[in-house]
Amino acid sequence: MKEQCINIRQACVLILMCIFTNKILLLPSLMFEEAKADAFFAVIVLFLLDIVVLPIFIKLKTMYPDKRLFEILSKKISPILTKFIYCVFAVYFMFKCLLVFSITYVYFKQQIYQDEIIWLILISGIPVINHAIMSGVRAFSRTIELLKWAVLIGFVSCLAFSLFTDLSMPFFFVSTSGEFFSSIFNHIFSFGDYIFLFVVIDRIEIKKGQEKQLYISSIIGMLLVGMLFFLFYAKYQVTAFMHNNALADILVFSVQFNAIGRLDIIAMLTIMFITLFQLEIYSYAFCDCVLNIFPKLNKIFSIVVFDIIFGILYYVFIGKYEILVGSSQFWSPWLGLFVNYLFPIVCLIIILLARRKKNEKTD
Amino acid sequence: MKKQIEKMVKQPMIIVFIIILIFFTPLAIYSPGENRNRGVVTAIGIDKQDQEYEISLLTFIPTANQSYKEQTSIISGKGGTLAEALYKAQINMGRKVGLAHAKTTVVSKDLLQEDVTNHIDYLSRVASLPENTVFVCSSSSAKKLLEASQGLEQKIGLKLEQLIGFNANIIYVTDTSLEAFYKGYYKRVKSSIIGYLKLKELNGDSQSGGSSKGGEKEQNTANNLIEGGSQSNDIALNDIINEGEAVLLKDGRMVDILSIDELNGINLLNKKALNQIITVNNVELDGEKFDLSYKIKDKKVLINTKFENDIPVFSAQLILGLELVEVKGNHETIVINTEFSKISKDVENALDNQIKKIFTDALKVMRENKTDVLGINEIFFNSNRNSYKKFIEKIEDVDNFIDFVNFKLSLIIQPD
Repeated sequence: MKEQCINIRQACVLILMCIFTNKILLLPSLMFEEAKADAFFAVIVLFLLDIVVLPIFIKLKTMYPDKRLFEILSKKISPILTKFIYCVFAVYFMFKCLLVFSITYVYFKQQIYQDEIIWLILISGIPVINHAIMSGVRAFSRTIELLKWAVLIGFVSCLAFSLFTDLSMPFFFVSTSGEFFSSIFNHIFSFGDYIFLFVVIDRIEIKKGQEKQLYISSIIGMLLVGMLFFLFYAKYQVTAFMHNNALADILVFSVQFNAIGRLDIIAMLTIMFITLFQLEIYSYAFCDCVLNIFPKLNKIFSIVVFDIIFGILYYVFIGKYEILVGSSQFWSPWLGLFVNYLFPIVCLIIILLARRKKNEKTD
Repeated sequence: MKKQIEKMVKQPMIIVFIIILIFFTPLAIYSPGENRNRGVVTAIGIDKQDQEYEISLLTFIPTANQSYKEQTSIISGKGGTLAEALYKAQINMGRKVGLAHAKTTVVSKDLLQEDVTNHIDYLSRVASLPENTVFVCSSSSAKKLLEASQGLEQKIGLKLEQLIGFNANIIYVTDTSLEAFYKGYYKRVKSSIIGYLKLKELNGDSQSGGSSKGGEKEQNTANNLIEGGSQSNDIALNDIINEGEAVLLKDGRMVDILSIDELNGINLLNKKALNQIITVNNVELDGEKFDLSYKIKDKKVLINTKFENDIPVFSAQLILGLELVEVKGNHETIVINTEFSKISKDVENALDNQIKKIFTDALKVMRENKTDVLGINEIFFNSNRNSYKKFIEKIEDVDNFIDFVNFKLSLIIQPD
């Protein structure tokens, strides 16, 4: 397992990719439908809820530096309950994969490929993802680290170019408290950006004093997403609900740069890389969960399981995109609530109990 | 070497790469060019007659030729729904319709008699009509306007979106794209402005379509003589008349046609709107009467809103830098008079009255049609939210708000 360890820099880029998950294309538009421009504040609230999870992760890591999450939970709760939690995790990560894939697929279909191209994407995409899972967290973390600047420059360029378009202050504080909180609840699933770190807790090397780097990269990611939401609402105002691809749509109507041609190629490349990395992260997490639930299973088999389930769920859901997005707002908040917030609370209780035990021993 | 190959083959990523190459290379080689399957539509026109839609597509078909002229043709299809009409047009074209490059969308005036969003909803949501397409109303049929524009482009290289783009930049001083239309449509008072172009047949009958505000039409006529084209018989008859007018829409329906003066009045509060000409007549200068034309070279707009005794008050202070551009009359002595760059008190009063009159006229049009293209409601909502909400509750209809607003316009006129 030691060769699979990632350093703090790689953990930071993983966090960055997780923070971008499902938030840069469809989410600003979906949230606007419910909370209008106040969705910007809803996102800030969700980020604040998320970042509270980070110290819990760091504390757990400090207490159990080399132990797998499965081992910690099995010891502290019970093996059966742990397997149940891992089953929920597997479902969670699978649907994260599906949501990321389907949203990006629809984006590319709208932008470039008008005809059905799903099989071409699956044929070219799935082997790369499979290979990433096979190579392990260290291999794809290094790839992400290598391309981190390309992704960040692409993201920041999209935001910067949008400044050359017509922007005006969004109309804030127009939604009711009911609309605001339902918007927060309905989109919990798109958040929970630190859960992946729990899954690979034993494979992250954090030296003393390095924890703040995790906070810095989290704040950078959250600031970028927050700016995207703000600029998107500033640009589209009342029609924000009509635009499903926020990062790409904020580039449109840039009068000064229209002569360049398709400026949105910057957004396309950025989204392409981000999606690939996110799929690698979440598919890896799914396979890891499967391997923990069925320890006798080979890694290759877990990948095959992922491919089959992904294919079946694609056939059932993504072929009917509205069903996926619609249903994700119906049941996914409960899944998100459990994994994003209830699970960290369980971890917090474990930490507190372990600390009390330790204190009692020293006394 | 053999060892190296064996080592490479053992790498799964290389195998994946080779598989992808094997799969995609023949596909890439054998698949036909995109333009063989897809027609690039540069403008789209929508007409409706007797419950039947007609979609006309100004289509660019890339073909090898020795000139640098784009080969365009107009292909149309009819159907009970827009989807059916587009499908028929597609069949007539023999290619799939690609609307991603449609820079102009023309709708006939008849279509604007009802909520136009019902008609364009399919195109923008399903058929991928881009939101930055320029949205134009034609006095006659949209198809005829496209035909006329085709001739214009072939003759002098002026495209329809350039023509209306000029209006948008200089006269409307606002975006007139489909996106801008939707922005207005989804605001509180649901009003927006789109471009308006008239068609005139060369045999003399102008299809001005109810607008009697236009002046010297012949001066603004873009002559349209076609030497070729699939519909040359019809095309040769039409001229595009651009008088800088715009259509005022309320709830997606046309409620009025705005003249240049009315647009200038609306744009007085728009600091981006410069270079408009303001003419004052019979002004006394050095003992003689002249007609003076001033150009707005610089503008600062200060806006303040408040509720005074429960009445909304909109105060705007305009600081205008004006340049005298023409003196009509016997002005030989005045030309050399350097004092002339100063604006005398009489001229200032005349300009003050004239500008306020332009603004009042524009306001009258907005009030009559219960529209708010100035965004007055949004300004009050942002700056006096509680009072605004109470006031709207009291008057029960947001559309009437502009009727109750007390406008105070003060001007500081300076020579530029």
